[in-house]
Order: sequence, then structure tokens, then C-alpha cells
Amino acid sequence: MKKLFFNRWVILILRVILGGIFIYAGSLKIESPQAFADNIAGFQLIPNAFVNLLTLSLPVFEIIVGLMLVIGFRLRIAAFSVLVLSLVFAVALGSALARGLQIDCGCFGEGEPSTLKTWLSLGRDILMGVAALIVWRQFASNSYSKVSGDYGLTP
Amino acid sequence: MKNQGALAELGKDLVGLWLLATASICIALVVNQLRDHPLSLIYATKAQRMDVAVVKVAPTVLPAVEQSDHPQIISMPEFRELAENKKALILDARPEIFHRLGHVPGALSLPREDFENGYSKYKSLLEPNKDQPIAVYCSESNCEDSSMVADALVKLGYHRVMVFKGGWGEWTAAKLPQEGHQ
Repeated sequence: MKKLFFNRWVILILRVILGGIFIYAGSLKIESPQAFADNIAGFQLIPNAFVNLLTLSLPVFEIIVGLMLVIGFRLRIAAFSVLVLSLVFAVALGSALARGLQIDCGCFGEGEPSTLKTWLSLGRDILMGVAALIVWRQFASNSYSKVSGDYGLTP
Repeated sequence: MKNQGALAELGKDLVGLWLLATASICIALVVNQLRDHPLSLIYATKAQRMDVAVVKVAPTVLPAVEQSDHPQIISMPEFRELAENKKALILDARPEIFHRLGHVPGALSLPREDFENGYSKYKSLLEPNKDQPIAVYCSESNCEDSSMVADALVKLGYHRVMVFKGGWGEWTAAKLPQEGHQ
């Protein structure tokens, strides 16, 4: 089982899928920043003074780490960043559900607030976190130089 | 010893994450300045933005709102009666793209997010008769756009504003006629 998860082809597929998802999600958020700012504010987790800074920066961050995963640049840091993002998203979504907030997470552009969709987003986020953990664990078990040499552009 | 090595590697990951986050903030600020309408660095809530839009479109001083002017919530049969018999001006408060995809027949698009431009567009139709019945809807019962647009219209002096809370969701679920490019 362990061999399957850490098979280099599996890792390649995981990082391309994860990277693609993050590039897509970041691009959608960049298109309509005001709507995304409203989504972030809806979580009621951060002061209004920081909402727009996060609104502007998060999509760029997602696109950068997505590109790093797809092209195979600094994979360990990219996978770690996706793992941390997934954890942050999971905490935010979980806390919204715990507080009974009806929100639209804005994860993939605009939508309507819905508890069911928030649960689905949390499930999807946990899956992405597990995938990021698998990729990160693979590269964490290698040294930095070996990682970029062995698992860069080729599988 | 092994743990120390792992911690050092984790430290490198954290530094990498911090560098990526810093770079993202810098790039994001530059990209924002290149937009046609850069996002302000201070967030304004939907209600605050709506208040600003109302002040901008108001002809002079905003009239005092009386208790009886507050938007009235109407049910599906009431809304249907108004829409089908053209007894009220129907306004769609959803984003314009959704209006284009499909809307209640005869409804005009007055999106909450672009109230200022939308209102200016229909000013000649709206302002001559502030006593005309107006019914506003958005996507579904959870959306707040219809209530916000209705409140804005009341602040602008309209006396017979109604909100259909069921919105587009209830209308389509009842398989009623639609207009637009479905």
C-alpha cells in the first residue's frame, strides 16, 4: 500500500491534479476580487482591515504553488504550502459549519451560500490535504537537491 | 539527531512558505494596481457599498423613510400574480450574468453589486412614479441581494417595494416561464 502511494507515477499524477486545481481556483478568484472579498468576510474570522489584502494575495499564492507543482519546481515547498493552505481552509470551513454560518466559500468562484456545499468543500479540501501530504512526504524523505534532481520535470 | 534534522527541514519548508507568501502579496498589489478598477485595500461590507451607491444616485437629499415604506415580503402566488399580470415592475437583483442566462419574464436587471449603474440605466422608468409597485428577487431564500436592493429603493423614496424571498430558485422549481438564454 505504501509502495502504491509513493510510486513516482502516482506522485506525478497527484501533483499535476493538485496543481491544476489550484491554478484553476486561483484564476477564478482573481477575476472577481470584490465577490471573493465578500466570501472571505462571510467567514467572520479575520478583521475587515485584512480582508482585501488576503483577497488579492490568496489567488496569486494559489496560482504560484499550482504552477510549481505542475512544472516540478521546488516541489517540497510547493506541496508543503498546499498542505498548509488545505489545513487553513479546513479550519475555516469547519469553524463556519460549527457556528452554523450559511456561507459561500468562494473556493471556485461565485456561488450561493449553502451548508451542504460547505460540507462538500470541507470534504474536497481534506482530500486535497491528504494528496498534498503524500506528495510532501515523498519529497520530505529526500534531500532538497535530490528532490529537484529526481522528481522535477520527469516522473 | 534524526528529529533535529527533520525539524531543520521543516524550518526550511516554513521559510519557503513565508517567502512564497511575501512574493504573492507583492505581486498581488502590483496586479491590483493594473486593474481598471483596483480593489481598495480596506474592505467595505455589502451594506456599506450599497449605502455609498444610494448616496451617489440620490437626486438631492435622501427622503425620510417611514415605517410603512419598509419592503414587504411576498409569497410565490403573490409574486406570480404581479409578474404574470404585469401589476408590478419586476427587478432581478442577481449579478447580470445570471440575469442573461435566465430570468422571470419582463424582469429588469438591477444587480446589487452594480446598483449605481443599474439604477442610472432605469432612472427614467423608475423615478417618475415612486408609488408604483416594485417586486425584487434574487437567487433563492438565502440570498440577501433582493433585500438590499429593496432597502436601497426605499431609501431613495419608493413607497411600494416588495421582496420575493423564494427567488429564481422557487420560480424555476415551479417550472414557470423563463426569459433569457438558458
